[in-house]
Amino acid sequence: MTSTTSTPLSAVDRPRSSATRAGGSTRRRMRKDLLRSRIAAWSAVVVIGAFGLLPVYWLLATALSTPESTFQFPPKLIPTDLTLDNFTALADNDQLIKYMVNSLIVASITAVLSVVVATYMGYSFSKFRYRGRRSLMHLVLASQMFPQALLLVTLYTVFSSFGMLNTYTALVLSFTTFTMPLCVWMLKGIFDTIPDALLEAASIDGASRWRTLHSIVAPLAAPGMVAAGLFAFVRGWNDFIFALTLADKEKQTLPPGLVSTYIGEFQTSWPQLMAASLVVSIPVVVAFMFLQRYLVGGMTAGSVKS
Amino acid sequence: MTTSGISRRGALRMFGIGALGLAGAGVLSACAPSGAGSTTNGGDPKSKDFDFSSWSLNEEAAKPSIEKIIAAWEKSQNSKIRAVSYPYNEYLSQLTLKLGGGETTGAVHLDIAWLAAMAQMGKLADLGPVAGKGGYTDVALNSGTYDGTQYGLPWNTGSIGVIANSKLLAKAGIKEHPTTVEEFEAALRELKGLGGGVVPYAAATKVAQLKDIFPWMQTFGCKLLDNGKVTIGDDASIDAVTWYKKLHDEKLIAADVDRFDARALFGQGKAAFYDDAIIGKGVTSAQSKDKTLADAMQPMERPVLKAGDTPQALLWGGVIAIVKGKGQDAATEFALHTTTDLATTSRYFTERALPPSTTAGLAAPEVAKDTFSMEWTSKITKTATGSPFWQFAQNSQIEEAVAKQVQAVLVGTAKPKDAMKQAGEEVAAFIKR
Repeated sequence: MTSTTSTPLSAVDRPRSSATRAGGSTRRRMRKDLLRSRIAAWSAVVVIGAFGLLPVYWLLATALSTPESTFQFPPKLIPTDLTLDNFTALADNDQLIKYMVNSLIVASITAVLSVVVATYMGYSFSKFRYRGRRSLMHLVLASQMFPQALLLVTLYTVFSSFGMLNTYTALVLSFTTFTMPLCVWMLKGIFDTIPDALLEAASIDGASRWRTLHSIVAPLAAPGMVAAGLFAFVRGWNDFIFALTLADKEKQTLPPGLVSTYIGEFQTSWPQLMAASLVVSIPVVVAFMFLQRYLVGGMTAGSVKS
Repeated sequence: MTTSGISRRGALRMFGIGALGLAGAGVLSACAPSGAGSTTNGGDPKSKDFDFSSWSLNEEAAKPSIEKIIAAWEKSQNSKIRAVSYPYNEYLSQLTLKLGGGETTGAVHLDIAWLAAMAQMGKLADLGPVAGKGGYTDVALNSGTYDGTQYGLPWNTGSIGVIANSKLLAKAGIKEHPTTVEEFEAALRELKGLGGGVVPYAAATKVAQLKDIFPWMQTFGCKLLDNGKVTIGDDASIDAVTWYKKLHDEKLIAADVDRFDARALFGQGKAAFYDDAIIGKGVTSAQSKDKTLADAMQPMERPVLKAGDTPQALLWGGVIAIVKGKGQDAATEFALHTTTDLATTSRYFTERALPPSTTAGLAAPEVAKDTFSMEWTSKITKTATGSPFWQFAQNSQIEEAVAKQVQAVLVGTAKPKDAMKQAGEEVAAFIKR
């Protein structure tokens, strides 16, 4: 017994101490693994962050440089001759301000129009079942798949025939051709997440279909509508080729305006171009800052009575 | 069948509202202030008002000078010129679209490399009858001709040639510009010996500018296109690319250089030779910290394979073409005046350093006293020729196809013989399209 007792005791003791040692080394290994994975994660964050932020840094550094130091070869990562001249020059350029106003008008109307139209179309696709629904949905999506150049030539011909070239209308409608299909599909997906029971409840409570959409569904889908609107705004704000082709200098937006102003046959005014690019990106950044709260959070949380 | 208790009619109504909204918004945004609207080129050719399209109207360096020319014309003729511009890199595609759509009228400024593509659209007027009145030089007149017809009045005629830095040459003990390929190579080695990171010849090695290889191919005897047959792939083109590769391997030229890099290197005194247009002097010296660089810049005849050969250079410049239709006659007079009026061309030269295209213009005191320009004209432009590929709408694809093959040789992924054979086949395929 003793031996039996002692054996198991010592047997227990020995494994215990080896288990303790094993446990200790496991913990150390786990700590090492954890440290290693943290280092790997942080390294990945730094690399990805640098990849994302380096262009922004380079934009800022060039905007603050003199033309001579911009053309230094090989280029310097940290500029030495810093200047604000490139920013002050912007304030004197009335044409750039005009381009910016045009961009604001056109991108805003595009965003509003895309969201309004896409709300009705997306709602129709999501909540109703009728013959040809799927075909219509795919038709809307297919229009997104045409190469832009093909759409451009077609739109140019149509607008030219109607005498609509060089108007805001032409720009808004052309931008809408590529923003609306995606907005429709984005909003359809959002409407799909709103339970039909909610619509039926509204109907039972006596709400008309119109009221159901505007008073019940639209507020719930507001974050999605804001997201779609931002998407449309940014696409409209950034478009180059449609704005260049369909509008003259009076109606052109910032992207073609900046290229026309700063990129020439022999020379590109990189510092001024970068300064202008930095300034004109501010409205988009501000828009995102103010509207980002709509982009997150549950849309339907608590919307259905239990 | 519906969910939510809504009928098919209701569903379609919703979809209809969406679609109508799109159309309605078009009407609404039409309420926003509009531009001048469209024009067509089928109007009255006698109209005094017309458009003038030029990429230079965007550019800080050129815009004031051209606006002065336009303002003076409007005042003297009591007419109205609508200035139209697109960025240089987009100009050809925009003009092609708008000329095809009838949105372009009057006078259009064209790079001579684009003339053929535009002329093939059949919308440009034959300027043969007026070109004779201009007193243009033969080289200039030729730059505005396509398929035997004078479609453009030459505005500025120059070339793309080699620019040398006399200070660096002196430092390396090189007293005269090398005239043959052999002498050139020896000079490059001398310059390499200076050390300090000097790139003796900042030749193009990036695809974007590797079309600069064409004059070297011609120097080695390749015709590029002979009676409609592509000759890239012949022994001469292979020899040229083999030589270029040798310069690359010996670090007499540098990897990854395009025109911008070459100007930067030259501007910092780290390159002794580079290829550029005549306007390169102003552009490169303006972005250099060395304010004496302009004085050290010299035009150099491209070295030849053997003494007595004709130095090769690519013709470069701009012409003014006239679109048939509205304002055609007045636009033609405007183009003739702009390109030949002595006071106008002299002032334009003073402001932009672009050589005039007329004999009288080149002899004007303002031009004649500019040694660099005069030397350039007599040394480089005199023997410059246009690219035989300009006549094809696929010119840029042709240049890119050849450039990619040359780059493959430079980086060592292809042999010159195989690469040039491949390039020749690709160019031939483009031409057949």
